[in-house]
Amino acid sequence: MSSQSDVRFTDFKSDKQPTWCPGCGDFGTMNGMMKGLAETGNDPDNTFVVAGIGCSGKIGTYMHSYALHGVHGRALPVGTGVKMARPDIEVMVAGGDGDGYSIGSGHFVHAVRRNVDMSYVVMDNRIYGLTKGQASPTSRSDFETSTTPEGPKQPPVNPLALALASGATFIAQSFASDALRHQEIIEEAIEHDGFGFVNVFSPCVTFNDVDTYDYFRDSLVDLQEDEDHDATNYDDAKKVILDADKEYQGIMYQDENSVPYHEQHGVTEDMSEIPDGAPEDAMDLVREFY
Amino acid sequence: MAEDLNWAVGGEAGDGIDSTGKIFAQALSRAGRHVFTSKDFASRIRGGYTAYKIRTSVDQVQSVVDRLDILVALTQRTIDENLDELHEGSAIIYDGERSWEADIPEDAAAVDVPLKSLAEDAGGAIMRNIVALGAACEITGFDVEYLDEALEKRFGGKGSKIVENNKEAARLGQEYVQENYDLDLGYDLETTDNDYVLLNGNEAIGMGALAAGCRFYAGYPITPATSIMEYLTGRIEDYGGHVVQAEDELSAINMALGAARSGARSMTATSGAGIDLMTETFGLVATSETPLVITDVQRSGPSTGMPTKQEQGDLNMALYGGHGEVPRFIVAPTTITECFWKTIEAFNLAEKYQTPVFLVSDLAMSVTEQTFSPEAFDMDAVEIDRGKLIEGDDEVDEWLDSQGRFRAHAVTDDGVSPRAIPGTTDGAHMSTGLEHDELGRRTEDQDERVRQVDKRSRKVETAKEREEWDYREFGDADADNLIISWGSNEGALIEALEYLEDDGIDVRIISVPYIFPRPDLSDEIDAAEETIVVECNATGQFADVIEHDVLTRVKRINKYTGVRFKADELAEEIIDKLSQEVPAQ
Repeated sequence: MSSQSDVRFTDFKSDKQPTWCPGCGDFGTMNGMMKGLAETGNDPDNTFVVAGIGCSGKIGTYMHSYALHGVHGRALPVGTGVKMARPDIEVMVAGGDGDGYSIGSGHFVHAVRRNVDMSYVVMDNRIYGLTKGQASPTSRSDFETSTTPEGPKQPPVNPLALALASGATFIAQSFASDALRHQEIIEEAIEHDGFGFVNVFSPCVTFNDVDTYDYFRDSLVDLQEDEDHDATNYDDAKKVILDADKEYQGIMYQDENSVPYHEQHGVTEDMSEIPDGAPEDAMDLVREFY
Repeated sequence: MAEDLNWAVGGEAGDGIDSTGKIFAQALSRAGRHVFTSKDFASRIRGGYTAYKIRTSVDQVQSVVDRLDILVALTQRTIDENLDELHEGSAIIYDGERSWEADIPEDAAAVDVPLKSLAEDAGGAIMRNIVALGAACEITGFDVEYLDEALEKRFGGKGSKIVENNKEAARLGQEYVQENYDLDLGYDLETTDNDYVLLNGNEAIGMGALAAGCRFYAGYPITPATSIMEYLTGRIEDYGGHVVQAEDELSAINMALGAARSGARSMTATSGAGIDLMTETFGLVATSETPLVITDVQRSGPSTGMPTKQEQGDLNMALYGGHGEVPRFIVAPTTITECFWKTIEAFNLAEKYQTPVFLVSDLAMSVTEQTFSPEAFDMDAVEIDRGKLIEGDDEVDEWLDSQGRFRAHAVTDDGVSPRAIPGTTDGAHMSTGLEHDELGRRTEDQDERVRQVDKRSRKVETAKEREEWDYREFGDADADNLIISWGSNEGALIEALEYLEDDGIDVRIISVPYIFPRPDLSDEIDAAEETIVVECNATGQFADVIEHDVLTRVKRINKYTGVRFKADELAEEIIDKLSQEVPAQ
């Protein structure tokens, strides 16, 4: 690993030009991820990025690091395996609201419970963009799309509440366009001892004319400016996460006593190193069956 | 072959049948006798009939037969279920004090032992099965002291008091029969000085994984694959590894894939519907060129099928599962020792060719405990080949393009690319389930697509040339009758040879442990007058594949009752099949 001063965020950038629509929130989200990784002392050779499917899933191609772009909805299990086998590697999992809260929602709940020491960045645009505009699990109940002409008529998933209910140790929300705050929050998620979950409002400029840059700019309340909010306090977290009237950015909750999976389970070895033959005492395994 | 004894204990699920049988098997093994066990069990904690059967001899035994000599019956149903196998000279041990009125067939010797009362005398009714084991020792002329060792192994962790009580229970059973019965059924179990180990196929797979350097296992509990996970849990940690119970099989295979991308030797195992879920990720493993061992311990399907019953019905799934065209290897061990060796081979193949390897076992092998000389698992003979894994940072340089980017999917003569794992300087790269270029970046360029498809296919061609894809052979190599089998039927076929010889029929047996790539059997089938393919499924999936390979019709023996082949039954079926016409072309 290179020392912090050697690494610039552009080292995490590949030479592939993004095919996201001009103005897509994912540009800002990705910039914050790259800067956050660089600022926290990582370099591309000790970083593993796992990407899901959807517009957000393309991120592995536009970033430079060890990366896997996998099957729809399964990014978290891949990241979990990477980190368990190599605790020395910085793992960041990225995906969208469809990947994380629809097809992958089961994995989300259990990844949160496991509290593996990695970060999870969800680019939430409240729409399916890559398939050209269908309702997502975070779409508003009256949001009209090609497959829901009168709106989904069901409440959107509250991912922050889902995380809280699943026993999360770090819950945050950021806005792709508020570059500095977004980057700060990503850094906190990376440095958190455990599963650092950030839901990022990453507006889709093509298919979502409701959850727009203007909407978030006008309505988002920054928890940093709320002196009463104590992120280490569960009740404070609950209050803002379940607030039906306002949307927030910042760190909602951080469990100061978080014990990450590898500490809980004593998984600390580099599993890539193995001997040239069977382990020295391997005949003991056979003798167990006497 | 030396005389064999067939013993069974049966009762209701929840009666401790499995552990009782295992203790007796262990005692026989400690006495230097070979053992082959089978289980009839229902998928319920309590309520269904269940039995643990042991065939034992001083010679190697590798099949069950349709004969029962000693039966410990805890229920009437145990007797009724086994009526066909009992004979003149069989002994049935039962507890006449229990509420059921035992209806013992006339031929068999009824040995009424107050199991519960004697167990209570020894310290608790729970030990009634152990009393029965003591009684069985007396009837078979088997020294009850061998039971002691097995009881120590089974109960040692629960304290010496429990061990001593159990030893006492066994003695009370033995003495009761000695004092109250004057049986001469002719059983006299010989012992030897040989040391044997007793294990089942899933334990052999787990042990093979540890020997091969497997460090990560992710799985979701499912019968009959779970015991691989249970074996590894508590052992893999000694080598710095970890077992994780995933939330489902979709997650399990993706976790295993993640660990493999990290450079760990990694495995998952499942069965039934679990392998269906994992199918989603087969293509990703192949296109991202990730070395991964995927174990399928087949059980009876489709859907929930008969979860605790034998079948070899997943061959087509292993060959063709997953959309698109997925390069893969399929290895199917034919014996419990081969479960060990083929697991090691599977890990080597996976890393050498950066390809998914399916290790296809079956329920019969997973629950059968069998004795072997410990040398059958000679750890010094284990070889590890990690293929083109980049060990030093300088090795990366020759695989960088002109702009210094690592070519993780470089097109090479043998199809195999260099493999850099996280932490390797300048090795950072992307891999994906999308079609990609040498750098792992998405492409839909026609030439690039063809180059990458061909490259991945070429790995299989290279492996066909470089590796041995041999079959195992038994019987008379010059015989006109050829029997082909895959998976766990091998043992029953070998034992069927003896019955066939008695009828003057010579056969050549070819047992195939490689499903893909597989040995070319054209010459062998040409040389034979008759070819029969034996397998535990209804449609003859392997027979279809063989017919496709050699463009000729073969005869088929299929069993899909949920019970494995027995040697004597198989011999009869072969004789019957040989007399029939070959099906029309």
